[in-house]
Amino acid sequence: MDREEILRAKDESLAHLRTIYGDDAETVLAERRYGFISGLLKETLSKPAVEKLTTSDKIDKILLHRWLGIPIFLALLYGVFQFTFTLSAPLMDWINAGFGWLGEQALAIGGWGGSLLGDGIIGGVGTVLAFIPPIFLLFMALAVLEDCGYLARAAFIMDRLMHRVGLHGRSFVPMMLGFGCNVPAVMATRTIENPKDRLTTILINPFMTCGGRLPIYILFAAAFFAAYQALVVFSFYAIGIVIAITMAFVFRKWLLRGPSGHFVMELPPYRLPTIKGTLIHTWERGRVFLIRAGTIIFAVVVLIWLLNYTGALEPIGRAFAPIFSPAGFGQWQAAVALTFGFLAKEVVIGSFGTLFGVEQEALGTTIGAQLGWTPLIAYAFMAFCLLYVPCIATIAMIKRETASWKWPLFAMGYTTVLAWIVATLIYQIGRLFAG
Amino acid sequence: MAKEITIALTGNPNSGKTTVFNNLTGGRQHVGNWPGVTVEKKEGTCRYQDYTINVVDLPGVYSLTAHSLDEVVARNFIVEGKPNLVVQIIDASNLERNLYLTIQLLELGANLVLALNMSDVAESRGHQIDIKQLSSLLGLPVVRMVASRNDGTKELLKEVVRAAEGQAEGRRFRVHYGAEVEEEIAKLEDLISKDEELRRKYSPRWLAIKLLEEDEDVIRAIKGHG
Repeated sequence: MDREEILRAKDESLAHLRTIYGDDAETVLAERRYGFISGLLKETLSKPAVEKLTTSDKIDKILLHRWLGIPIFLALLYGVFQFTFTLSAPLMDWINAGFGWLGEQALAIGGWGGSLLGDGIIGGVGTVLAFIPPIFLLFMALAVLEDCGYLARAAFIMDRLMHRVGLHGRSFVPMMLGFGCNVPAVMATRTIENPKDRLTTILINPFMTCGGRLPIYILFAAAFFAAYQALVVFSFYAIGIVIAITMAFVFRKWLLRGPSGHFVMELPPYRLPTIKGTLIHTWERGRVFLIRAGTIIFAVVVLIWLLNYTGALEPIGRAFAPIFSPAGFGQWQAAVALTFGFLAKEVVIGSFGTLFGVEQEALGTTIGAQLGWTPLIAYAFMAFCLLYVPCIATIAMIKRETASWKWPLFAMGYTTVLAWIVATLIYQIGRLFAG
Repeated sequence: MAKEITIALTGNPNSGKTTVFNNLTGGRQHVGNWPGVTVEKKEGTCRYQDYTINVVDLPGVYSLTAHSLDEVVARNFIVEGKPNLVVQIIDASNLERNLYLTIQLLELGANLVLALNMSDVAESRGHQIDIKQLSSLLGLPVVRMVASRNDGTKELLKEVVRAAEGQAEGRRFRVHYGAEVEEEIAKLEDLISKDEELRRKYSPRWLAIKLLEEDEDVIRAIKGHG
């Protein structure tokens, strides 16, 4: 066949060229092209001997500094949380007061209708909606970081570290986007050329705390760690990054072996973000959260209320609860919250809200009092929520992007096992010190 | 009667391609997906003189290998979509890196026009680009442009129409890869030219070069029709 002949001739040519150059033909061709370009530029481009430093270059000297880069990145991230908390606290108070009043009116109706409205819908969905201010403010801060050009720098800073675990700094961009929502973040891995790099980046993305998990942290941090709220929440973002990078190392070492892709990192010049652009980006991401509150979370909360009202919920919770006992939160209410949290992570607090029928502000302390939780248990619970099974929308996106059921199922399994181990370790080791 | 041509916009990420696309098409654009893959496809139209110009925005890429979906999409459109013309948006302050794509586009056999965007940035850094010389060495039209101020859009359109009408003078461009490599390219080119279907669909020289680069997509294409 003629085609076979072409391919055979290709192999012969390649073997021949390798003996001459001692290198892949691909490398030789690329070198020649760059040689051609540099010759072309000698005749067409004149540059000053010493390039003037642009403003971007000057800023990069500090932000991309070899040793200061990562501390500055972490400090900026911490600053983002501090900003989010400080500004959102009063706004959340207003929303809580509003839903508290509404809930009382609803319960005053009495009967199952009053309970559905007051405990179920207002208790559940209202609890989730109370987190609109911190989520939108966080998204706004992330939009500013992205629009001004810092996100690309963060990837650059992490490049060295990422190379050690067998990934490329480029993988860090989808990870940062995961702070908003893991679904578009998984989609953003398309820019990664090497298939194994890409798959690894997809598999570790759920460890990046998304907007849906933020309410869980805020709720329990406020109730159990009042003095250190921003620090506690920040710690989960950091734990998420550390575990993601560790798992990337594990995958690249054993499961998805092979060389990682080479790539020149593009650093676009810094720009002052426009107010309009920032608001548009904040809205694009925050909108999804609102839609989810009105659809899937609403539906699940009503379902939970119904199961609870008819007495079917407690047996479900009791069936799962023993699994979580070693981690300290083996109460049936917690098991219910975690089980339904698979549908959307916001549901974890939404279902607590429905179960206890109190507004968001009092919810954390109510859980503490009724379930007998200590700060240690709350911390283990939050760690579990960070790590365990990605929400159903993320699973669907992983399925779409990997075009098989194998990887989404694998992601569900390994994250949940890991979450259980980490939460149990936190609780058991913590107990030794707490006496 | 209005004449219709199709042009493809390509360029490195951050070369200002989207701004050029918006300048050309204004509000007349729509977004879809490339068939079979989930890469965004933007199209728009623009009128110039008695021409209706369909503008297809290709994904931003650094080269045309088979390593990423974006690159394959861009490459396939140029080979199979047969646009009348390919316009490469170049970041003039980063000429060296951007020209790597130019070479690959020319090897692919694209009818190419270069737009040196962000020329103001390059000039403010003291870069002096001899556009006439660049154009004559590469054998294709080169336009100076500052897309953020909508500078150079008219000039680009003028060159696009000229090139589409076949008025732009040019000569076949090629990178000389050195005697040994060229010898192997020639051998493969010869074999490829004997195959009617391949010859009609691709530039034989490009196919030969891609074979030497062991481009998976090209190898699959050759096997697939055997």
